[in-house]
Amino acid sequence: MGKVLSEWIFTTDHKRVGILYLIGSIAAFCIAGIMALLIRAELTYIGPTITDDPTTYNVWLYFHGAAMILGFQIPALTGFMANYFIPLMIGAKDVAFPRLNAFSVWLFFMGVVLALLTFVVPDPPDIMWTGYPPYSVITTGNTALYTFTVLLIGFASIIAGINFLTTVSFMRAKGMGWNQLNVFVWATIAAFVIQLIFVPVLGTAVLLIAFDKYLGTNFFDTTTGGDVLTYQNLFWFYSHPAVYVIFLPFFAIIMEIVATFCKNMVFNYKVVVYGGIGGIVLVSGEVWVHHLFVTGMPDWIRVGQMVTTLLISVPVGLMLIGLVGTLYKGSIDLSRTPMQYAMGFIFLFLIGGLTGIPNAIASLDLHISDTYFIVGHFHYVMAVAGTFAIFAGVYYIFPKMTGRMYNETVGKIGFWLSFVGTNVAFWTQMEMGLAGMPRRYYDYAHLPQFESDQMVMTVGSVLIGIGFVLALGNWIHGAIYGEKAPDNPWGSNSLEWTTATPPPHGNWPVLPTIDPDWHPYNYKGKR
Amino acid sequence: MAENATTHDDHWDTSTAPLIISVGILFLCLAFIFYFVYDSGLAAIISLGLGTPLIIGGIVIWVNETIDGESEGLSVPSMGWFILAEAMIFLSLFANYWLQRLLTPDWPPAGTPAAMPVVIPMIMTVFLVASSFTIHAGEARLENDDKAGFVKWLKITMLLGAAFLGLSLYEWGDLIGQGFTVSTNVYSTSFFSVTGFHASHVLVGLCIFLTMLLPALKNRINTGLVKAGALYWHFVDIIWFFVVSQVYFW
Repeated sequence: MGKVLSEWIFTTDHKRVGILYLIGSIAAFCIAGIMALLIRAELTYIGPTITDDPTTYNVWLYFHGAAMILGFQIPALTGFMANYFIPLMIGAKDVAFPRLNAFSVWLFFMGVVLALLTFVVPDPPDIMWTGYPPYSVITTGNTALYTFTVLLIGFASIIAGINFLTTVSFMRAKGMGWNQLNVFVWATIAAFVIQLIFVPVLGTAVLLIAFDKYLGTNFFDTTTGGDVLTYQNLFWFYSHPAVYVIFLPFFAIIMEIVATFCKNMVFNYKVVVYGGIGGIVLVSGEVWVHHLFVTGMPDWIRVGQMVTTLLISVPVGLMLIGLVGTLYKGSIDLSRTPMQYAMGFIFLFLIGGLTGIPNAIASLDLHISDTYFIVGHFHYVMAVAGTFAIFAGVYYIFPKMTGRMYNETVGKIGFWLSFVGTNVAFWTQMEMGLAGMPRRYYDYAHLPQFESDQMVMTVGSVLIGIGFVLALGNWIHGAIYGEKAPDNPWGSNSLEWTTATPPPHGNWPVLPTIDPDWHPYNYKGKR
Repeated sequence: MAENATTHDDHWDTSTAPLIISVGILFLCLAFIFYFVYDSGLAAIISLGLGTPLIIGGIVIWVNETIDGESEGLSVPSMGWFILAEAMIFLSLFANYWLQRLLTPDWPPAGTPAAMPVVIPMIMTVFLVASSFTIHAGEARLENDDKAGFVKWLKITMLLGAAFLGLSLYEWGDLIGQGFTVSTNVYSTSFFSVTGFHASHVLVGLCIFLTMLLPALKNRINTGLVKAGALYWHFVDIIWFFVVSQVYFW
């Protein structure tokens, strides 16, 4: 037992590091999900509902946002999935630097520990996940906790990025060319390039608010010539590309699932990879100013940034065409839970994507900025669509990872509950936003017309919660009691399914060699 | 890395170093929080006392486990990616500095000493540029399999780096003595942040050199580590040109 435990916590194996990432990110997801339900409970009725203290409500909002993005989505996608899939997909025995990989996951865990101190310290951070000064500098809340959480998790993802870029560049299976990589590998290394370029900027920004608050520097202190908007620029210079860090892997995992369950070649593979994924990397750094449209700026910047923001829909559109095109003339198998999540994802992502366009258009954004419309939009396009993709991915890799099968019926019930709940909650939220409900409010006594909508939204969020809890329970039950899984239950052509289930240390007894005409999505004659 | 497949099932590769260093870093963060947020010097010192040995011990284990591994590994290309990330930190600091210079009506703002240091930064530049050449000389010795020559040039490089840090500290002390501290004005804020960030990179570079020097004295040298460390040092040197030209002489 002691040997097993020490082989887990001191492990340098990419599969075990990946599973540690999964455990940490699911833990963050659960706690942040409880925060979401508390927020919804508080907002169900006008006036104080479950807390009298608006600061407590702000702490919930802070933790929900910070933990969902930094603790759940980014680590689950670029931590768990990258670790579990990439070395298997490229036919490598491990990553380039196994120790660095273990260092990355433990730094992430330390970041989660710091984030959890929010519930222990007497003056928890109450600065949202954005940490805007001057409030973050003058608040009595513990801004340092926020800074160090971001720094540790950010550094963890930088070393993960270095590791995976090196791995994919130099450790592909013998004979595997760049055009034979899975879309997921491409998308994830693109996400890591974005991380490497932009995370340091976020790290600097949050470090500077800690400097301002605790060391007395003048970066954001307007009385001595500092500029608060510098922070917002630095922050969104990372945090908008962070959306693509989340988007690229979650979209690509859906691509893998759709290709497998349609037994079809990815439509427009090269356009998806070079135009879609490459295009997003190129454009992602020029779009952040649309988060600042309401802060006051010359019109030429607004219009220019409106154009660059709208431009990002071109590569996203190329990827979506690739995804929907993969369905065309495929032998679609909708009976499996991962595929159902994938189809649900396409619906949510389409609604979220289309409601993003008004946010990019400056004249419309001035009206809907800081309303529930924005919140509904990014929950559709990133938060829930991303979570659906992560859940689809976990269901998809579950047989390979645990060697057992989950329960198909429970999986589908969980999917439908959260799918219906998502649309009930966030469609209602977008309607409220268009009618004028501002975001982040603790109480809305002056806007009583929204009380019935808020109640509907709470019901929707409870449905989402039940659906996700069913999925989590299904995994835990399946991992322990599920029936034994075959090596390739989905009949996929991709390399990760060719090894034993669960994969042994070193992944393959003899590392695979790739023929020049092999392709992960080549199902000719295999349907 | 075991190449023979048959031994794979018996054991899983492990290393204690990553977890030890991570816990050490957690304690360093807690030390900052104890000292600056909760005014508890004692708790801060205890955290520091726990964190520092954990980090140093973890690095010792790590170096000891890996230094005899593949000598021409993938360290150099991965250092390139790391340098990209590091460059972005400096870019955001400089962006902030340039913005403030453009937005401030009269520069330098009130509170700045009439004569900012000129001679010392020039000497520092000479030291740092020289150290880039000396580490290169060390690398060249290593390629000719002259281990003693490598150790000699590595020591000279480290001395130059340490002298650079010493001068930096002396100059900081001098400026603080004249009442020019981090909170004086926007210029002092940027000045100390940029030079401090750069100095911390010099310190990290020296620590990397130390992880080469100590094993090298026992004749254990990893060429990949040396090349990656030297590449990092050249990067620190190049960044210094931006620091010295932008925050001192502009």
